[in-house]
Amino acid sequence: MSVLAPANSKTVLLGNEAITRGALEAGVGVVACYPGTPSSEVPATFSRIAKETGVYFEYSSNEKVAFETAAGAAWSGVRAMTAMKHFGLNVAADSVGPVAYVGVKAGLVVMVSDDPNGWSSAQSEQDTRYYARMFRMPMFEPANPQEGLDYTKKIFDISEEFEIPVFLRTTTKVSHSIGTVKVGRYKKPNRKGKFKKDMQRYYNLRPNLQKMHRAIDAKLEAIQKKYSKNFTTEIKGSGKTAIICSGVSYEYAREATVLLGLKAPILKLGMTHPMPDKELSAFIKNKDEVLVLEELQPIIEEHVTQLAKAANPKLVVHGKDLLPKEGEYNLEKVLPAVAKIFKKKCPDFAARTKKEQDAVKGLPPRKPVFCAGCPHRSTFYAVNKVFPKDTVWAGDIGCYVLGIFEPFEMQDFIVSMGASLGIGHGISCVSDQEVVAFIGDSTFFHASLPGLANMAFNNCKSPLVIVMDNSVTAMTGHQPHPASGFTGMGDPVKKLSIEDICKELGAEVRVANAFSQKDLVSKLEELKKLKGLRVLVSRGECRLFTKRKLRKQGVDFPVFEIDQEKCKKCGVCTDQFACPAIVEIHEKKGDKPTYWINPDHCWGCSVCMQICPYGAIRAGVRKK
Amino acid sequence: MTFSAFFIGVGGEGVLTSAVMVAEAAHAEGHYVRGVQLHGLAQRGGSIPTEVRFGSEKELFSPGIMQGDADLIMAFEQLEAVRATHYASKEKTSFVIEDNPFMPVYANLLDMPYPKLPEIVRRVKPFAKNVMVFNTAYLAEKEFGNAVLGNTMLLGAAIGAKLLPLKSQSFHAVIKELAPRMVKENIMAFDRGVELGKRGK
Repeated sequence: MSVLAPANSKTVLLGNEAITRGALEAGVGVVACYPGTPSSEVPATFSRIAKETGVYFEYSSNEKVAFETAAGAAWSGVRAMTAMKHFGLNVAADSVGPVAYVGVKAGLVVMVSDDPNGWSSAQSEQDTRYYARMFRMPMFEPANPQEGLDYTKKIFDISEEFEIPVFLRTTTKVSHSIGTVKVGRYKKPNRKGKFKKDMQRYYNLRPNLQKMHRAIDAKLEAIQKKYSKNFTTEIKGSGKTAIICSGVSYEYAREATVLLGLKAPILKLGMTHPMPDKELSAFIKNKDEVLVLEELQPIIEEHVTQLAKAANPKLVVHGKDLLPKEGEYNLEKVLPAVAKIFKKKCPDFAARTKKEQDAVKGLPPRKPVFCAGCPHRSTFYAVNKVFPKDTVWAGDIGCYVLGIFEPFEMQDFIVSMGASLGIGHGISCVSDQEVVAFIGDSTFFHASLPGLANMAFNNCKSPLVIVMDNSVTAMTGHQPHPASGFTGMGDPVKKLSIEDICKELGAEVRVANAFSQKDLVSKLEELKKLKGLRVLVSRGECRLFTKRKLRKQGVDFPVFEIDQEKCKKCGVCTDQFACPAIVEIHEKKGDKPTYWINPDHCWGCSVCMQICPYGAIRAGVRKK
Repeated sequence: MTFSAFFIGVGGEGVLTSAVMVAEAAHAEGHYVRGVQLHGLAQRGGSIPTEVRFGSEKELFSPGIMQGDADLIMAFEQLEAVRATHYASKEKTSFVIEDNPFMPVYANLLDMPYPKLPEIVRRVKPFAKNVMVFNTAYLAEKEFGNAVLGNTMLLGAAIGAKLLPLKSQSFHAVIKELAPRMVKENIMAFDRGVELGKRGK
């Protein structure tokens, strides 16, 4: 799998990698992103290849800044791109709308990945297609990695031709699906630009605003006229029953017709805003029944219903009557719907599901957990010891969301990046309860600064803020942030100091070693007694990140082991600390357990040694 | 003919690399390839599924495998084999299971005992045409001093047992590309797996 595969060769790429290649082939010069799954491999790939290909790449502090960086470059004549997850667009939206009004000079592609099903721990299933309508921006939706490449390449031209930023929208199974891809040629991009002052163009205040509104609508109309055909695929078939679809649903529709032996007419929309009205009307004109396949909201379905009023009033439109709005589609959801409207037999998937549920009954689940050696586990453990059970645990976005699971259950709510501070503050304003707000280091720079400033400003009783500083954006794959000490292009840079920033805001700040229970507990006790804005920076590098660094240097971790003579089998290390490296073994049912640290999984953080009430855990020697 | 292979194991244990090897080998043999690679939260010690499908561009479209439609399920952790039954059926699915327990912390926390291997096989059987268990992680540790090579060995076993219609030579080439730092060890482990697969254990 090589993003830099030679021109005109075939390779296997992840959807996000194919999109990256498409942007390279389009000559993108500037890419700025905040990492967010399911779009994260776009920035991750650029981060890897930027120097080699001559692209400027940066990890920005949040999606709004990333979008603005890309827009500034595009205004100065350099092709630019940003990629984000669906929620990222909520952060960036404030600037996206106005930039759509003003337009761009060089091509600007805004990639947004939706996550139906919430694979990436998403807090809601958001349908980004509504944003395209709200901001009146064109939106293109590839169905597979090949289209990911082809569309990305093409829409840079469209963006430039009509001087309008464009959306590239994917869903999880486009971004995170692999496929054989034929690649084209890329060359060194243009990275030098110049901002040309032009008040006529950038003046987006009344009365110019109304003129701009008209202009943007005219652009959309022109794009619809010129590109509807290019982005619409028709699979010819027979009969008066047909399928209309977009994105990955097209892949399911095609395979469903193969599996059912159908020659069904299929119309696939590659551009979902503006929609190809002419093509759609012509397609539905002679049909009796259509099934619209689209994940999440019935946007195409409603549009087809509307068009049918003029084109074919008798048309029966199916979609969300046969398929759910929630979750993502797959073959076992799509196949029965297709079989139903084409009156074909289909396997009884639901009956099978019952048997599968019986097969896994009583088996221990394998939910995601803090990795062995994770500094967050240690921090949660200490906080849990210091604060009473009825403390309100204000949760946030990052690896520490895993604190929601047993044995900690210390994320009472999870809303959005930085929300632990705002909502925690709101609760503190009205309640006497103790509130502890957890926030990550990357999240600190992304969206927490306004929340902190607000608490400092509105001098009321505040939550205790715990910054879980593991030095990188760990959740999405160890991307750097302003306190990491290196940039997205791998260059060293001065680390910003989280504690200095908090002190500057007037907070009582303590910094604790996240791998020392003693340090954590004593600093938490200190802060607990204080009033006002209080911040604990719990600092400990992501163990996975440390492990990878050490492995490169050929250095090994220490390892810990249990002294079976001293072990009183109290179960604190497994039941309360829950490190995946510590295993409880019952030889026979009812037997007293034996506790054992699996050396293959122990990453030597030493915290289990600190929490063992009987001093039964000690440093061991790692086998070579 | 589309061939669908489902890979399951524990996040961070090299399942993804094994799946990529299969995708690359299939590509090298001229197949059209599709599949699913979930990233993100799944890596944090959770159970991580990866899907690879290959065949003809005219028939193969869906990145994901349909319920009951996998030809091969490779479980790099034995308990996870049971969780893959959704994709398996008596008519067509072969299971290749690595006898390598990795106890989830929830076994302790929720007091749900981790089942022994025969119990796992018993639960999988109604969904399987064929179940094969290999102790490749143990052998890799014993013979090569590195349990991680058990993954490559398990791939070899699937090839040797003729449960994955691809050629050994394709994997040798792919290993050179994907594991440049340990080419020799990986090829030796792979070949050892082919031998195990031919013998059936």
